[in-house]
Amino acid sequence: MKERKDSLYLKRTISDLAFTTINGLFFTVFTLLCIFPIYYLFINTISENRLVTAGKINLYPIGIHFQNYTALLNANELINSAYISVLRTVLGTVFMVLTSALVGYLVTQNKLLGRKVIYRAIVITMYFNAGLIPWFLNINMLGLTNNFWGYIIPALVQPFNIILVKTYIESLPKELEESAFIDGAGYLVVFGRIILPLCKPILATIAVFGAVGHWNSFIDSIILMGGEPKLYTLQHRLYIYLNTASNIGKIIQGGGQLSEADIASALSNRVISLTVAMVTMIPILMVYPFMQRFFQKGLMLGAVKG
Amino acid sequence: MVKRVSFPNVLLVIFRIYLAAVFMAAFVPNLNPARVSGMINRSASLFTNAISYSNIGSNFVRALDRGWVTSQTLFVTYIGALVCGLAIVLIAAAFCLCFGNNRMRRLGLIFSSAASLVGFAGASLLLTAYNLFSNTSNPDRVEPLFPMGIWVFFGLFALTLLLSAALWFTLPKADKNEKYELAPKYRLFLMLLPFLVLVALFSYLPLMGWRYAFYDYRAGFPLTWDNFVGFKWFTYLVNNPATRANIMRVMTNTFAMSGLGLAFSWLPLAFAVFLSEMRSNKYKRVVQTFTTIPNFISWVLVYSVAFAIFSTEGFLNWALMNLGLIEEGANHLISSSNMWIKMFAWGTWKGLGWGAIIYLASISSIDPMLYEAATVDGAGRFSKMWHVTVPGLLPTFFVLLLLSISNILNNGLEQYLAFQNPLNKGSIEVLDLYIYNLGLGNTGGGSSIPIATLIGILKSVISVTLLFCANSASKFLRGETII
Repeated sequence: MKERKDSLYLKRTISDLAFTTINGLFFTVFTLLCIFPIYYLFINTISENRLVTAGKINLYPIGIHFQNYTALLNANELINSAYISVLRTVLGTVFMVLTSALVGYLVTQNKLLGRKVIYRAIVITMYFNAGLIPWFLNINMLGLTNNFWGYIIPALVQPFNIILVKTYIESLPKELEESAFIDGAGYLVVFGRIILPLCKPILATIAVFGAVGHWNSFIDSIILMGGEPKLYTLQHRLYIYLNTASNIGKIIQGGGQLSEADIASALSNRVISLTVAMVTMIPILMVYPFMQRFFQKGLMLGAVKG
Repeated sequence: MVKRVSFPNVLLVIFRIYLAAVFMAAFVPNLNPARVSGMINRSASLFTNAISYSNIGSNFVRALDRGWVTSQTLFVTYIGALVCGLAIVLIAAAFCLCFGNNRMRRLGLIFSSAASLVGFAGASLLLTAYNLFSNTSNPDRVEPLFPMGIWVFFGLFALTLLLSAALWFTLPKADKNEKYELAPKYRLFLMLLPFLVLVALFSYLPLMGWRYAFYDYRAGFPLTWDNFVGFKWFTYLVNNPATRANIMRVMTNTFAMSGLGLAFSWLPLAFAVFLSEMRSNKYKRVVQTFTTIPNFISWVLVYSVAFAIFSTEGFLNWALMNLGLIEEGANHLISSSNMWIKMFAWGTWKGLGWGAIIYLASISSIDPMLYEAATVDGAGRFSKMWHVTVPGLLPTFFVLLLLSISNILNNGLEQYLAFQNPLNKGSIEVLDLYIYNLGLGNTGGGSSIPIATLIGILKSVISVTLLFCANSASKFLRGETII
């Protein structure tokens, strides 16, 4: 009896071990698959450009230098695009969060005129849209094409985030709000002094996801700002660089002619594209560790209902 | 509490609606009183002209150089638009105040009267601007144009003044010691109103754009009865063989890519189930951290990663050459072979780790008692995975599956736009990308905006229908709705 039990136990541990090994191997490979490309991108931006252009940098950097990054500082259009990207991310996120908070708060108020109708009218816009072309023609009609505010204003009201804030506020104890009303506070005072501080966790969540969304979006830059290169975002620039056939190394070297020697050590199209990509990626990688604790809440973005 | 129906009250309701209408008139391009020249953007409304000077002046650079118009003329036009805009702001304020008690309504009436007077001044300035424009030495190039909007706004402001006066004398007077007050329901509503306007402007107003599908529309030209074509584009879509072939190709791509996504929609679930079987929490956290990163980089960056690895000098060629599989590097990036699978692979690379998180969260909320009971019953590792974990995740899986079925036409634009190039266009163009290329890309012909709009309409209608079907299916099968 005892013997049989032992052999069963052994059998189980062996199959367990085999399973764990294979399982672990798979996840290790997939994890490497996810981060190796980013590492590969990085080593290609800090290695000797001659080798990069020839495709010789594959596993580890050779001849480490950071001149590619400092060279980008001379490209005015890139600096300008970075400025636009940062500005739209900061302003867009701040305004979007404030809007979501205020609208989310107001739709929890039973006294609001036509509360249900209004709330449904806002939420239903998540499920239909007029289509790309009418959307573009509409924004064009409102004068927001080739206009910085075209990045901010159409993205202010986000039904998803409003639902999140509303659900969160409804989970707070009603008494806090009521006692403030009894003390004679108005709606905006209650909102600013009581609701806003209490909502910090959910507002931080939507701020993080909103900021990533603003930083990453390039369709609006391509569609709305086509006629105004000064308003291109970093992502849009990168898109252009990756798709352009001409040697953008010239842009950085002041448009001069490339000599043979230059070409050898030059900032080739490849090097610059990769460096710009890295610069565009770095902010995301930097905030990423802080974002992780918002993941669980962020998932609710897809799970909550109106 | 029964509301008294009396003449002043009815008039007040009419007045509120009227003020709202005047306010909205400022956003209608056809009523723009500031379009005193054909050179001013046809699609600009009074609102647009009032907030940005460049919208008026941008087309007059040459005319200013040659002296056909003076900068004063443009300035008068802009100030006229600005003053009219100010009047509109006052109208908005009056609209809000009219919801208050007697004292507040009176203040509102003062505001609306002031708005009419300011509006008269603005409209007169625009009239002057028109006269200045019509005195130009080169009418062909300056195109002076009398906007009907001037008379319309004169009329609107006059009626505002008239209504204000009528209300002033009919509404009950306020008590001496009455304070300004607004009922909570109106106060809340007015606080929300600016955001409702935004929703209306950016989510509902675009629906007006559906009418472009019924016109022979070319960018920069107005919609008139002359270019109204009715259902021409609808029949064109069905009858034109070239278009039909294109649509067939695009639909094949769309269904292929959505279909691949649907067929492998269990991948995140499996990922989560197997990852949760790993014992070490640290290992789990590391895997989760690194596999989620790709979800947060944009599609352009994903493309740049692809660019780095799959181009001629990239990692893939190096690896293949080192393994002795190929002799010479090739550019795998631009080739059009296996486009569906490639796009699916990139989607998986970007989304798998993130998609698994929702299942990992659900796994941690499965009752541990179930596992203990299963152990007692002699269930092994795999049977616990299959009989406890997987059933615990199925409701989530089901909801996500239904949602992706209803999104079968919405592949999204970003991924495909980033990866598109002239060589792979044939097999990468999904519906969203096709609409973009047709309506906004460089390739479009003259008829492309109406056609692209029309396809967009069909797509929206089908998507909404599918969503409702999915919702009903969920209601029927699980007793719970998903939207």
